[in-house]
Amino acid sequence: MPSSTVENYLKAIYIGTNSLEPPQRLLPMGQLASALGVTPGTATTMVKTLAESGLVEYEPYTGVALTKAGLRLAALVTRRHRLIELFLVQVMGYSWDEVHDEAEQLEHTVSDRLVDRMDAMLGRPETDPHGDPIPNAEGMVKPQKKVQTLLTCPLDTTVTVTRVLDQDKDFLRFIEHHNLKPGEAIQVEERDAVADSVRVRGGNNRQLTLGTRAASKVLVQVVHVLLLFLLASPVFAQATQKAAAPPRTALSGYMDFHFNNPEFSDAQLDFHRFVLLVTHSFSEKIRFVGELELEHAVVEGLEEKGELELEQAYVDFLLSRSFNVRAGMLLMPIGIINERHEPPVYYGVERPFNDTVIIPTTWFEVGAGIHGEIGRGWRYRAFVVAPLDAAEFSAEEGLREGRQQGAEANIGRPGVTGRLEYVAIRGLTLGASGWSGRSGFQFRPVFDVPVSLAEFDGRYARRRLELRGQFSQVWIDNAGRLNDALALRVGVNPNIARVLRGFYGEAGYRAISNARFGEVGGFVRYENFDTQFRMPTGYVALPEFDRDAWVVGATYWPDPDVAVKVDYSLVRSRSSVVQAPDSFNVGLGWWF
Amino acid sequence: MVVLMRYALTSLVLLAAVATGPNAQETQVIEITAERFSFNPSEIRVKAGTPLEIRLTSEDTMHGFHILGTDIDLELPKRGRGVASVTFQPTAGRYTFECSRLCGAGHAFMRGVIIATE
Repeated sequence: MPSSTVENYLKAIYIGTNSLEPPQRLLPMGQLASALGVTPGTATTMVKTLAESGLVEYEPYTGVALTKAGLRLAALVTRRHRLIELFLVQVMGYSWDEVHDEAEQLEHTVSDRLVDRMDAMLGRPETDPHGDPIPNAEGMVKPQKKVQTLLTCPLDTTVTVTRVLDQDKDFLRFIEHHNLKPGEAIQVEERDAVADSVRVRGGNNRQLTLGTRAASKVLVQVVHVLLLFLLASPVFAQATQKAAAPPRTALSGYMDFHFNNPEFSDAQLDFHRFVLLVTHSFSEKIRFVGELELEHAVVEGLEEKGELELEQAYVDFLLSRSFNVRAGMLLMPIGIINERHEPPVYYGVERPFNDTVIIPTTWFEVGAGIHGEIGRGWRYRAFVVAPLDAAEFSAEEGLREGRQQGAEANIGRPGVTGRLEYVAIRGLTLGASGWSGRSGFQFRPVFDVPVSLAEFDGRYARRRLELRGQFSQVWIDNAGRLNDALALRVGVNPNIARVLRGFYGEAGYRAISNARFGEVGGFVRYENFDTQFRMPTGYVALPEFDRDAWVVGATYWPDPDVAVKVDYSLVRSRSSVVQAPDSFNVGLGWWF
Repeated sequence: MVVLMRYALTSLVLLAAVATGPNAQETQVIEITAERFSFNPSEIRVKAGTPLEIRLTSEDTMHGFHILGTDIDLELPKRGRGVASVTFQPTAGRYTFECSRLCGAGHAFMRGVIIATE
C-alpha cells in the first residue's frame, strides 16, 4: 500500500492536472510544490522517486503527469477523501469548511470496504460538498461538462454554482455566508477590469462584489443560454447547458392553409390542416407522443366537412437503441410522406397524388410493435395493426376509405406492417416497406380479401439539391368476389382492381439561399398513379383512374419552419371522356 | 526470492503502465448533421478518454441533442443559422443520444450512440 506521502503527491498531481487547460498536460513543478506546501526541490525529489516507480511521468523543467497506474491510485485516494467529506457533512453534521482537514487524515487509513459502505449509504453520490466529482470504485469519473467561472460566464444570465475550487476554511465560510454554495442560482452583473472585481447578484437578490481571484474559484453552469448565432455565416454556437432532463411535456404542431383553383370548378380557400403534437416523458425510457389533427377546419355532426383525427397516440418503451417497444395509435411506416409530413419538408402545396390514392396517407392505425436501429444506419420498425376494411375500398381512391383509424377497429385478423431504412450515408435515405393483412371481415360469411402493399423509396438531399422517388404497388386478392359482394350490398359494382400501382420522381433545387431573405426553391415532379392497374377476371379497367401528373412549382422559406408554396399540377388520364382537372395552388404551411 | 519476483512483476506492470501512460490527447472533432428524423452519423466509435468536440448542424428545423445519463442537452439552430457544439470526454461505454426537441411526427426515431472503447 502506498505511503500517505505518495498518496498526497498523487492526489495533488491528479487535482492539478485536471485543472489544466488542453493541450497542456504536464503540471508545472512549482504549482505542485505550492499545492503541497513544500519547496520545489523537495517536490522534484519525490516526483523522481514516483517516476522510478512508474506512477508518474516526469519531464525536467516542464512538469509531471500521472501514468495509468498512478492515475488509478490517485483517483481512488481522491474518492476516499471526497466520500469522507460528504459523509462527515451529511451524516455527522460537520460544516463544509471543517471536513477537508479531517478527510486529509482519514483518507489514508480507511479501508476500501468502509468507503464502499459509505458510498452506498450516501446513495452513490457524484459530487462532494464542494461540488468536486467523486470517482467511482474503478477510479473513473462521470464525464464532466464544460464549466465556466464567474470570470467567463455570460453577464446577466442565471447560472448555477456547481463547484468551489478552494478548500480554505475562511474562503468556504465566505462563500457560505454569501449564498454562493453549489446549487445556488446567481447572476454576474458586471466585471470591472480596472478594479479587478466582479459584481454578483445572489439568489437572495443581494449584491456582492468579489475580487477576480475569488471569482476564478467559483465554477458555474449556465442554466439557459440562448444560442448566439449569426445569420450570415455558420458560426460555432455555445452549448446550451440546461437542466439534466429534457422537458417532460412539450407541445408542437404544424398548419397548412391552401388556396386551390381547380379546372372546371370554383376556387377554394381551405384551412387544410391544424395539427398539434404533444410529447411527455414519464422517464428517459418511457415516452408518450400524440398527434391530433383537425382537417378542413370544421367537424359538424353527420354532415361531412372536416375530420378530427387522432393520428398518433402511443407510448414508447425505449429499451435500447436496437430494440424498443411501441403501442397505441401508430403511423404506418410506409413511404416518404406518411411519417414525414410537416409542410416545410416537402415541395408542393398538396401531398403527392401517390400518397393519397396508392398509399392512403395519413395512414394511422391502432397496434403495437418494435422499432430500433442496428449498426450504422439500419433502421427497422415492425408493427401488428388493425387491418384495412375492404368494404370501403373504391375504384378511384383504392384503399383510402378502408382505414379503420382506431375507431373500435376490428382486430380479428390483424395486419402486419414494417419498414427497413438505410440512413448511413449523409443526405441519403433508402427505404423499403410493406403491409399485409386480411380485410374481408365485414362480410357474412367472412371471406378472405388478402391485401398486400410493397413500397420502395429514396431521398437524397445535399445542400441545395433534393431528389426523391417512390414506387408502390398494392395487391387485392379476391377482388372479383369483393366486387360481387359490394354490388349486392349497395347495388352498384365498385369496380375495385386487383392491382394498384404508382410511382413518382421529383427534383428540387434551392436557387436562392440568403440568410436574411430566406430560401427559394423550385421543383418538378412527375407522377404516375393507376388505381385500375390490373383488374380481376371479368372486369374492365376504368381509364379515368389511370392517371399521370406533372407538378411544377416553387417554395419560399422566409424561415426554415415557414413555407410559402405555389404550384401548378397538370393531370391527365387515359379517358377521352372524363377529364382530370388541372389545378393552380397556393399554400402557406408552418411548423413550430 | 518471492520478494524479488514480486518486485520484478511490479516493475513490469509499472513499465507497461508508463508505456501506455496518458499522452497529450488531441481533441477529436465529430460532425453530426440532424434532419427529420435522423442523425448522421448515428453511430460514432471513439477511443475512451478522447476529448470530443461534437459539432451539430441542422438541415431543417431546430433539433435537440441530449446524451442520456449526462446533462449535455443542446438546441441546434435551424438550417443555415449556425452550428452548435459541445465538448464531451467519454469513459468506456455506450452513450445513447437523442433529439430532445419535438421536431415532428417521427421525432422519437431520432437516436444515435457514441461507443467509447478502451
